[in-house]
Amino acid sequence: MSEARIDGKPASLAAATERAAALLSAARMPVIAGLGTDVAGARASILLAEKLRGAYDHMHSAQIFADLDVMRQAGLMYTSPNEARLRADVLLFIGKDLTKIWPAMMERLSPAEIPPFDLAREPRKLLWIAPARSGAKADGLTIETLDSSNLHIALAALRARAAGRPVSCAKRMLRKLDEFAMVLKNARFGVAVWGGDEFDSLAIEMLHGLIRDLNKTTRFSGLPLGCDSNAAGVVQASGWMTGFPVRTSFGRGFPEHDTWRFDATRMIESGEADAALWISAYGPEAPPWKRNIPLVALAAPHTAFAREPQVCVEVGCPGIDHDGAEFARETSSLVGRLASHRSPAPSVAAIIGQIAKHLGGAASC
Amino acid sequence: MLILLKGGRIVDPVNGRDEAGDLWIESDRIVAAPAGRLADEVHDVSGKIVMAGAIDIHSHIAGGNVNTARLLLPEKHQNRLPNPRALPLCTAKWSTFETGTIYASMGFTTVIEPAIVPHQALQAHLELSDIPIIDKGTLTVLGNDDFLLSLLRDGEGQAAVADYVASALAASHGLGVKCINAGGAAAFKYNARTFSLDDVVPFYGLTSRKIVEALQRAVVDLQVPHPLHLHANNLGIPGNVATALATIEAARGERLHFAHLQFYSYGAEGDRGFSSAAAELAAAVNAAPNVTIDVGQVMFRQTVTISADVLRQFNSAEMAKPKKSVIHDGDGNGGGIVPYLYRENDFVNAVQWACGLELFLLIDDPWRVFFTTDHPNGAPFTTYPEIFALIMSRDARAEAIARLPQEALAMSTLPSIAREYTFSEIATMTRAAPAKLLGLTDRGHLGEGGLADIAVYSPGSDLAKMFRFAHLVFKDGDLVVRDGRVSHYRWGKALKVNPGYDKSIDRRLAGYYDRHFGNSRDLFAVNEHLLPRADAFAEVACAR
Repeated sequence: MSEARIDGKPASLAAATERAAALLSAARMPVIAGLGTDVAGARASILLAEKLRGAYDHMHSAQIFADLDVMRQAGLMYTSPNEARLRADVLLFIGKDLTKIWPAMMERLSPAEIPPFDLAREPRKLLWIAPARSGAKADGLTIETLDSSNLHIALAALRARAAGRPVSCAKRMLRKLDEFAMVLKNARFGVAVWGGDEFDSLAIEMLHGLIRDLNKTTRFSGLPLGCDSNAAGVVQASGWMTGFPVRTSFGRGFPEHDTWRFDATRMIESGEADAALWISAYGPEAPPWKRNIPLVALAAPHTAFAREPQVCVEVGCPGIDHDGAEFARETSSLVGRLASHRSPAPSVAAIIGQIAKHLGGAASC
Repeated sequence: MLILLKGGRIVDPVNGRDEAGDLWIESDRIVAAPAGRLADEVHDVSGKIVMAGAIDIHSHIAGGNVNTARLLLPEKHQNRLPNPRALPLCTAKWSTFETGTIYASMGFTTVIEPAIVPHQALQAHLELSDIPIIDKGTLTVLGNDDFLLSLLRDGEGQAAVADYVASALAASHGLGVKCINAGGAAAFKYNARTFSLDDVVPFYGLTSRKIVEALQRAVVDLQVPHPLHLHANNLGIPGNVATALATIEAARGERLHFAHLQFYSYGAEGDRGFSSAAAELAAAVNAAPNVTIDVGQVMFRQTVTISADVLRQFNSAEMAKPKKSVIHDGDGNGGGIVPYLYRENDFVNAVQWACGLELFLLIDDPWRVFFTTDHPNGAPFTTYPEIFALIMSRDARAEAIARLPQEALAMSTLPSIAREYTFSEIATMTRAAPAKLLGLTDRGHLGEGGLADIAVYSPGSDLAKMFRFAHLVFKDGDLVVRDGRVSHYRWGKALKVNPGYDKSIDRRLAGYYDRHFGNSRDLFAVNEHLLPRADAFAEVACAR
């Protein structure tokens, strides 16, 4: 059965949601943070944020905006895992954490197979920039690696060599760069796969520049792996509901987006936000801030909080305890996940629906 | 509840009416004047114009590409106005909620999103679910997908093609079939940079012509009311009128809907190698009764082009303003998002604007020319009221023409055209004809038994104002708009077809997905219970 607590003591769901509504509506600037939830939970959260005139943010915003800021400043070329699997004659992996981020990556992209849509029907060429120390390995395949402790420099040098411009580096490195550049330029449909927190916007923008350059003569695209807790799905729902991604506020009665102003942790640490609703349905993530402010948590069981929230409701996990729509890394699209172990644990959307009822006003959508 | 709209000018071309009269509504339907009963609610609409709710057959209002455009351009839709009403998110610019609110306030009650690839169908329907008031529908995009192209390459026969098309429609809950640069997106993945009607898609050995023919036939075989909705090759290229004429010819007398024809009405005459060929193209449309078209009118302002014609979008990315774009090599079509600024003092943009108006005014039959801007590609749908004014008033056109580069107008016949659309023709083009084209027998007219989707306008010298702020709008008999302001949300349906087909194709597709994609086809299903409201869909019958 679902568990709810008020000030650490067991409580009914009705009492917990009533108390949550009172806490959040009493705040001058409440913030909804974490947002590890399915599309239904994100919808409910955003409608609640408007009602409360609060802000909302996702726990993985730093990584979300590494990709998104490049897109909205310089643009982006990307493809789907299906195309990478079926068409890519060159796979360029970048970063040390790819299989940690996506354990099924190798199985999904099946680099050992000859890509069925490739006209030449040759074995794929596999490249890896800055792999983990354990090396770039996949089923005994040959993977050419380029080790680098600095992604910015490696990507900039590679882009320069691909464009036929000089770079200053050791001879051995230059030979390697040229080898890589040659494979990329000779690709028929190459795909660069990247992800992880070592990628900042500068690295991604450099990679994107390389991809654009390669498309002058051949085809090349990107496959960003993104981050967990349905970050991409929450951003999509936020996009159609408000026009903006997360880090958006209704403080002035209309949605305003600003990645610095509406960073939930910054708002809380600075004292701008005076109550928080923390949501983490995919795993027991705890709020990252230190400041003590009134906290309502909709959390996975066994979350270890630094301080007991004033209200805590244990919620189910989308796709396990209940059905949910979320962004799927294996398809790069929103998909429905049916419950694998259906349970009575409530969904985030259901709990927020009850909190919203206590607030009155317009019926939610 | 019995409602009476008293004494308005009823403009209902389906029933041959353009006269003063009363209109009665009971619950969600239009009814005959009931004998011996008094109305519960009477609206005096004398001096007003009463039409059926308008239907937009081609407007990009939902789906992954539209949402990418929102996220690409945060600086272009900053909000300034607090939400004054108890309507969630209704003033959030470019949100789904604002989309439904603005459409309704202009008297539109049904809008079709024309470009949803099957693998993005769940997101599209989630977005459509958050568009209030209006009914919606999607067209399912096929024609660059490996399964279809493989069927054609392997000569599997038309029955297999029809079964596949029906299965894709069923899985994506589509209302019809759209084909976007047939084979062009697939060819682009093989590094093609141009692609025309008789170019061959590498790997499949198929021409665009052959793909279009097969889809056109499948739609006929399945008795889907809406004919194949075609986005042809060579969009936006000088001299592409030749492609458009060849594409009309290639329809071989079979029904075909040619989307946003304005973007294909270009000649290559004059010093700048760019001219209007709209008059020639309009004549070809007039002579081809099997063909319907929508215009895709350009208006001068900032917009963003959103298209699953990824090849075209890649080629136009260098013209992006602001200078950024997204090119997506997706499953099947993918897409491209390229922001663009249409400028009044730009020669090319002025020719484009003139081309669109020429098509409106030179195609004789308002049953075969449809009112669109290809929102937001030619202009946002919020410009519709201005376009109504331009086609209804020669004076409004003259005023606009005076501001444009005269050397651009010299490349067009527009200044010589005197035609002005009548209210009855507007009602045909935006109500009666779209309902017929989509097979929606319950709407588009004001006859007894029709759905009470009704727009009442206050005529005046300012035609744009009249169409921007409808006096009253009823959706399913519910009064949702007064004087251009939405009073409350209600939730419309997504209209879809469900043609019968041989289900053995589903087993075959299941195997194909497992083997090719390494994923279950079920992963792409639109699970109705994951949409925010129950009864999200309504079925449109297939037999014609």
